[in-house]
Amino acid sequence: MNAGALAPVAAARAAVDQAAAPWRRVPRTAVGGTVVAGILLPLVLTRISIGDYVITLLILFFMQAVVAQSWNLIMGYGGIYSFAQVALFAVGGWTTAVLSHSLGWNPFISILFAPVVALLAAVGIGLPTLRLRGVYVVLLTLAFHQLARVFAVTGPRFISGGGYGLVSVPTFQFGNAIGEQRLLYLYYLAMVIFVIATFAIWRVIHSPLGVAVTALRDSETYGVSRGINQFRIRLILFAISAFFTGLAGGYMTHYNGGISTSVFDFPRLIDLLAMIVIGGWGTFAGPILGAGIIIGLDQYLVAIGDYRALLEGLILAFIAVFAPQGLWPLIRNTYNKYLGPEPPAPPAAVEQPTPDLGATPESSGGGA
Amino acid sequence: MSTQFVQAVWGGVLFGSVYGLMALGLTLVWGAVRLLNLAHGAIFIVGAYAAYWVVAFLHLPILIALPFGVLFAGAFAYAMHLVFIRPVIGKPGFDNSTLVATVGISIAVSAAALLIFNPEYKVVPPVLSGSTIVAGVQITYQGLLVIVTSLALFGLVYAFLSYTRQGMAIRAVSQQTEAASLMSIPVVQTYGLVIAISGALAGLAGVLLAPTFFLNPQSGFNPMIQALIVTIFGGLGSIRGALVAGFVLGIFESFVEVFYGVSWAQPGVFILIILMLIVRPNGLFGIGEVRRL
Repeated sequence: MNAGALAPVAAARAAVDQAAAPWRRVPRTAVGGTVVAGILLPLVLTRISIGDYVITLLILFFMQAVVAQSWNLIMGYGGIYSFAQVALFAVGGWTTAVLSHSLGWNPFISILFAPVVALLAAVGIGLPTLRLRGVYVVLLTLAFHQLARVFAVTGPRFISGGGYGLVSVPTFQFGNAIGEQRLLYLYYLAMVIFVIATFAIWRVIHSPLGVAVTALRDSETYGVSRGINQFRIRLILFAISAFFTGLAGGYMTHYNGGISTSVFDFPRLIDLLAMIVIGGWGTFAGPILGAGIIIGLDQYLVAIGDYRALLEGLILAFIAVFAPQGLWPLIRNTYNKYLGPEPPAPPAAVEQPTPDLGATPESSGGGA
Repeated sequence: MSTQFVQAVWGGVLFGSVYGLMALGLTLVWGAVRLLNLAHGAIFIVGAYAAYWVVAFLHLPILIALPFGVLFAGAFAYAMHLVFIRPVIGKPGFDNSTLVATVGISIAVSAAALLIFNPEYKVVPPVLSGSTIVAGVQITYQGLLVIVTSLALFGLVYAFLSYTRQGMAIRAVSQQTEAASLMSIPVVQTYGLVIAISGALAGLAGVLLAPTFFLNPQSGFNPMIQALIVTIFGGLGSIRGALVAGFVLGIFESFVEVFYGVSWAQPGVFILIILMLIVRPNGLFGIGEVRRL
């Protein structure tokens, strides 16, 4: 871990790192191109007739992707079977809704408190929960979900709004911008949140924290015996995840101009779970892909009405059992095979034959 | 005072026996297969709807519908085992896969119930009708039947596990899977047996409870959460724990309901379980990782 070693060792390490740490090879052009496309796309879309509708879908996609990624961070990477994600989303939403609705704060100010309060709530749940094993976490987080729902429905009037949630929460106003212009601003705000969250989660996954988390997930006994403080790591991860989920909750509240108690409905949770499972459980880009697929498909699935839930449940079950990797690894492998950059030459063969450490660096297709 | 007290005790014992019945299935499956069956609530409504179907569409008496519902729920659980559980047994991602798969199944079952029947509340006739009044509280015969049945089933399951070949095989598998398979116990078939038994128990709970709770596509969720709480409270995999915890939690919830109001019942139970887990992380009768069942 600590590279407080001799200089030659450090130099030797730097050479190995390229292959041992595939995430360092960021495809800068691809990332940059995607961001530029994201900036330019709405400008094009506003010129075509259904463009506005597509922009609202993209906004929805950005927010769902943020929540799905945060959930994947703790569920897929951390192995914490938390079902409190929607409740934390609601905590964020309610925080900013109450601040702007009851106290009359500017939405741009009050939304800053959404992630903070969600984070505090997560620490509150995490302290008793995260010491326990998987099954207990499922139960206690589901319990928190139910409690939050009961509180949102039967709580004091400034929270429950009489049992249906808060309506007439102030929406985001950008100067005098209205209509299409305002939609563009909303889009860019959503995109900024998405980019920040994605970058932060990418950093977390590829930091020592992320490595420790993955180690714990894959072999708890070994990880703990190597001195990883499991509880602390899990709590930090849980808090990070809650932070971005709360932020997304705050954004959606002001975007919709209200938050209803129907956010607690089970189908919402299942949609998010489907995004993670279909896209790729425990992969970096999986939830983003999954969010795109679910939101894209949803437009067509509206037609089949009640069959949608049946189909979604069955797909979820079949993918979980027969293709637990999800779709993303499939896409990534295809990309690497035909279009990807040449993998760097295996360093083990270059200098001295290191026994078994760097034996097959190219086969580790990356933790991402 | 006394009426309220009797009311609370009666409600508690009734709820407790039902929670115990649901939790018994969950705890059996957890103990033997190490599977957290989040589709348990779905199997509960499968049994109840099957019985409803027999009564409403075939116009047969409930005494025929009851075994039909139980068998149907057991068969459903076994089919679930064949399709979704068996392929992943022994694979590295067993926990993830089964967790997501059982959630998916429970969604699909609710959706199917919504499509086949409709969202309206269904009424399944009670097996025994009529009631008597004790200290101003109405005691239904159906309620008494539920309590007696669930106590009898606990005894039956306990005897089954202790004295029959199959039961001993289940215990062996749950204690040491590898050693059991070396003794030529068919491990995977034993898993299937346990899951089918658990499904039948959930179905029985569904049929017996439907007259009290009414039946709609979502009504499996709350009993399942309660059963989960009971299972964990009693100690995962412990049958005695499920029985005791069922009554403890049922009576606790009932007293909170009667004396503090219905809206406090569920939060109260959650707070109790959180405190419990802080004090005894393995539950009331939790026996750690070595010995189960």
